[in-house]
Amino acid sequence: MTSYSNGAFFNPAYHDSETLEIDRSSSKTHHTNPYAGDDRAVAHYSTGPTSSDDVAGRVPWGGWQEESWKGRESIPMGLMSTRPGSPSWQHDLNHSTFQIPPGSQYDRSTSVRLPSAPSGNMTMRWRGITMRRMSMFPNGNPTHIAFTEDAIRNEMENEEQNLVKELVALSTRDRILAIRDLPMSVDEKKHIRSQVLAFKSSKQSRQFTCFADCSENVSLSFRRCGYSLRSARQTLELWHGIMKEIGGTFGTSVLSYFVFLKWLLMFNIFSFLVNFGFITIPLLVFDPSPNIPPNVSFRGLEILTGAGYFQYTVMYYGGYSNETLKGPVEYNMQLAYFFTIAIYMVLCGIALIFSMASSFKKNYVLADPSSNKAWQLLSSWDFSITNEKAVRQRKNNLRVQLKESLSEKAQRELLTLSEKLKHFGVYLGFWLLSTGLTVGCGASIYYLCQYEQQQATDAANWSLLQEAQTLLVPFVVSLMNLVVPLFYSLFNKFEHYSSHRRQIYALVVRNVLLKMSILAVLCYYWMNVVAKKFSCWESMVGQALYRLVIFDFLFLMLGSFFGEFLSNVIGTRLLPRLGVPEFDVARNVLELIYAQTLAWIGIYFSPLLPAIQIFKLFILFYIKKVSLTRNCQPPRRSGRAAQMQTIFIALLFLPCFVGALSMVAYTAWILTPSEQCGPFRGLNNTFSVVGVWIDDLGGIPGSQWVVWIYQNVIKSEIFYFLISLIIIVIIYIFWQVTQGRKQLIVLLRQQIVNEGKDKSFLLDKLQSLQKCQPDKKSKQKTQKKDEHSLGGQSNSNAMVQALLARQQLEEEEEGRDTGGVPVPSDISTSSALIQAMLARQRAYDQDGDERLSSSSALSQAVQARQMAEGQETDEYYSTDFSENPINTSSAVAQAMQARQRAEEEDGADDLPSSVSSVMMQVMQARQIAEEEDRPQWVPAPTQNPSPAGSSALIQAMLARQQAQNEYDDGY
Amino acid sequence: MGTTASQLGKDLLSEYQELTFLTKQEILLAHKRFTELLTKDEKELQNTRVPTERILTLPELKSNPFRKRICHVFSTSEQKDGSLTFEDFLDLLSAFSDSATLEIKSHYAFRIFDFDDDGTLDRGDLEKLVNCLTGETDETRLTRDEMRQLIDNILEESDIDKDGTVNLSEFQHVISRSPDFVSSFKIVL
Repeated sequence: MTSYSNGAFFNPAYHDSETLEIDRSSSKTHHTNPYAGDDRAVAHYSTGPTSSDDVAGRVPWGGWQEESWKGRESIPMGLMSTRPGSPSWQHDLNHSTFQIPPGSQYDRSTSVRLPSAPSGNMTMRWRGITMRRMSMFPNGNPTHIAFTEDAIRNEMENEEQNLVKELVALSTRDRILAIRDLPMSVDEKKHIRSQVLAFKSSKQSRQFTCFADCSENVSLSFRRCGYSLRSARQTLELWHGIMKEIGGTFGTSVLSYFVFLKWLLMFNIFSFLVNFGFITIPLLVFDPSPNIPPNVSFRGLEILTGAGYFQYTVMYYGGYSNETLKGPVEYNMQLAYFFTIAIYMVLCGIALIFSMASSFKKNYVLADPSSNKAWQLLSSWDFSITNEKAVRQRKNNLRVQLKESLSEKAQRELLTLSEKLKHFGVYLGFWLLSTGLTVGCGASIYYLCQYEQQQATDAANWSLLQEAQTLLVPFVVSLMNLVVPLFYSLFNKFEHYSSHRRQIYALVVRNVLLKMSILAVLCYYWMNVVAKKFSCWESMVGQALYRLVIFDFLFLMLGSFFGEFLSNVIGTRLLPRLGVPEFDVARNVLELIYAQTLAWIGIYFSPLLPAIQIFKLFILFYIKKVSLTRNCQPPRRSGRAAQMQTIFIALLFLPCFVGALSMVAYTAWILTPSEQCGPFRGLNNTFSVVGVWIDDLGGIPGSQWVVWIYQNVIKSEIFYFLISLIIIVIIYIFWQVTQGRKQLIVLLRQQIVNEGKDKSFLLDKLQSLQKCQPDKKSKQKTQKKDEHSLGGQSNSNAMVQALLARQQLEEEEEGRDTGGVPVPSDISTSSALIQAMLARQRAYDQDGDERLSSSSALSQAVQARQMAEGQETDEYYSTDFSENPINTSSAVAQAMQARQRAEEEDGADDLPSSVSSVMMQVMQARQIAEEEDRPQWVPAPTQNPSPAGSSALIQAMLARQQAQNEYDDGY
Repeated sequence: MGTTASQLGKDLLSEYQELTFLTKQEILLAHKRFTELLTKDEKELQNTRVPTERILTLPELKSNPFRKRICHVFSTSEQKDGSLTFEDFLDLLSAFSDSATLEIKSHYAFRIFDFDDDGTLDRGDLEKLVNCLTGETDETRLTRDEMRQLIDNILEESDIDKDGTVNLSEFQHVISRSPDFVSSFKIVL
């Protein structure tokens, strides 16, 4: 592309040009900002003759217009509520915002955005300001430093003032967020903040109220509170140092396993506290001694089996009484047990749904799997890696990956049909094999359970052998969980999946299927066999779960021994070809998920199971950490760790939590609780405890409403029917909205691409113009004239194109084209849009070019048109005050006419009359376009949704769309 | 010479808390680590600049391939020598902290990757970036052909408006699509 070859000279202009100018120019300023004293920075600001305080100081913009601006402004930004300020800044603000209508548009549509809203808003503003700064002082030619440092400083101060004023209008909390979000150094932020505070206090002294003072104080103390909470959380953060060390050596993807482990640990601590606090403690307070039969004693094997002595403690369901505990307060054990478990489950569900949803939003909605492979590698440098060796290794890995991706791209060929069939056959075969393995495991567990059930008796006192026999099932289950996944990994080696991701997904799906089917068989056995045979069956189930948890723990330790230590030994000593093993995040996380499922199922049968789980996870953390640092090497591939994390949370929710929940719910609703033990003895099912309670309540006056709710809401089908109906409708609506946005994004993306093409075309034109310019230059006497003629010349060229596009006034213009500027013959075939734009820009630029340096004149054509318009305003402000709003197309026809007149005059003054007539044509066309356009501005805001990602790009896209609307509809 | 904690006044501390994404502990820790870098005489002075070489002795930065760029970007020094004051240092940690927004992170990442400070990532920048990632020595470097191809790929994927360079908004667009970025653009003291 030509632009590139042109290098340094063209680039700045290019980047300030229209497409994406909002963001782009912000980058510009951000990077020039720190070195404001730099020569180059000065050069940047050198040419533009206007500074915004000229503009700002100019009050007579026409009252009606100002009104309309206020109207536009106050809706979106939401920060003009305190707009009494001086008229000058009012204007200035308007002036600055008109240039980023898309921004305001965007903000308007996102007025519901939660905490991030103000910051996003501010950033847009800041960007808007910086953009303006940049576009006002385009790539200057150092020889034309017409602008003193003073003016620059003024300009900058002015913008700062705007920022400050906006910040003042925000609420305290929003302001802090906004300031924090400014990409500036602490020093600058400090400066801004102090100004804001000064401004605020000066204003407050005027309108001081007690209420404002109070609320200020309250919010201050809240903020302090928030800070100290954050600090406290930081202090409590477990394993900070270890985590950092792991992240420093193994990178984020391995670290995510430990983060997940820690998260589960916190989860379990929470559930332990809930269960212990509301179920166990009250019981222990009222009745501290467990009623253990005299012939049962602690033998040691209980720690493994959970049977015997433990059976009579508060460990299991059977240990709880059904009485209402009488003390200082009455405590109904039945209700407490039921509601604690129920509320715990609901809280878990909500927490999971929220973390899953937010993680999905962050990691999936925005991620685009199809592209960005190269960027994936480049943007994935793990800054947290600090270990020298790890850095070297990672560099190596990255290089290998880059080379791989290159060669893949180079030799990506289509597979033949037979190859495809072969691949398909292999997949099918292995899937059948793995499913067969799963089914086999499930069946063997079922028969094993049958066998165990025949052996077991309901006696209170088991022999040691009997007790040891109970260990058979958990042993086999855990063994399967350890061995079968190894087979799956082996299968994976033969399958040759095309992408790493697919390979992992296949592995995950198979493992989850295995684990879930084993658990399903066990649950079936418990519900249907154990529940009928034993007198205190809930405790039996609790024991079984206890054993599973314990054995799972033991096998996890064995797993890290075999999985990591052994393969390390094999890899380093016996078969160096295999190398040091990597830490298999997926397998390890799945093990954690399985363990957590056990704990959830067990919560009803053994309320203190979370305590065991806490212990288990705590030990596991250290074991895994040691195993990792001793045996493993950093992963060779930097996978999408964040996405895997999302998948894991989703897995934790969908089969695991939902499965456990339905199991517990089935138990509570359908199964009859055991007669001899537990809090629910004597009831038909657990849930009827609520019915009993409601009946009791019915007798108490004043609580009729609870009874009513129970009868008419909880127990009525129509209520649930309606609720589901409403939810389905809402989901459908949201789905439609999402679809619409997807389409919109595609369109906007297309427009950006089109803009890019337009721009490169324009640049081409300008460059060719520039090339034929030198021979003209010699004829000019003064540089001023040179500039002028250049402006006229390029103007004429632009006109040619506009005319070609519109097939009007062709001859006239051809006559004007004396400069020998080559007009490509294929011009008429290129899109009319481009030419119209070009014409328009030229028309504006003609004014600009008169005043600006010649060498930058060409590049200015492509520049943000605000600049030109700002200058025009400068020149004609007495007559042509409506220039600016036109840009945002809210201008009324009146203004257009006024302006057109002004421009006609101007054209007549400065240019040959033929040009002026052409210009008139152009202006008329544009006026029509804008008139046509206006009705569209009403629906426009609704058309611009708030994209979830709110990425800057989309904002820019919106900007483009609006700009494009203008032209598309016009021409 | 007092303890490090008392050197930071309470007001200053809360101000830093307000202006950065750091918590109190993190600021105090940062101050402690920063003071350790100072020589004895410098400790007496206010707002001392610590030269790049000494900053880079921090283990968190020592082996980072972008260490020089990081210092350069966060330095407010007039001479552009990459020396950092304590506030610059806080800025650095704030941008690399856990709670910094994607917006801030991608902005600074862009500036770090923009080796010639011209506001866009052009081919030269991308080449340097790739070299930083794969190692600077001759045998680790990609060949000229590979490099060209790689950069073509990158530009094809991310240069939305096809101007031959990647600008900030395009960069942020790309970054927003690779969710790992937030977790990997992180330096913890």
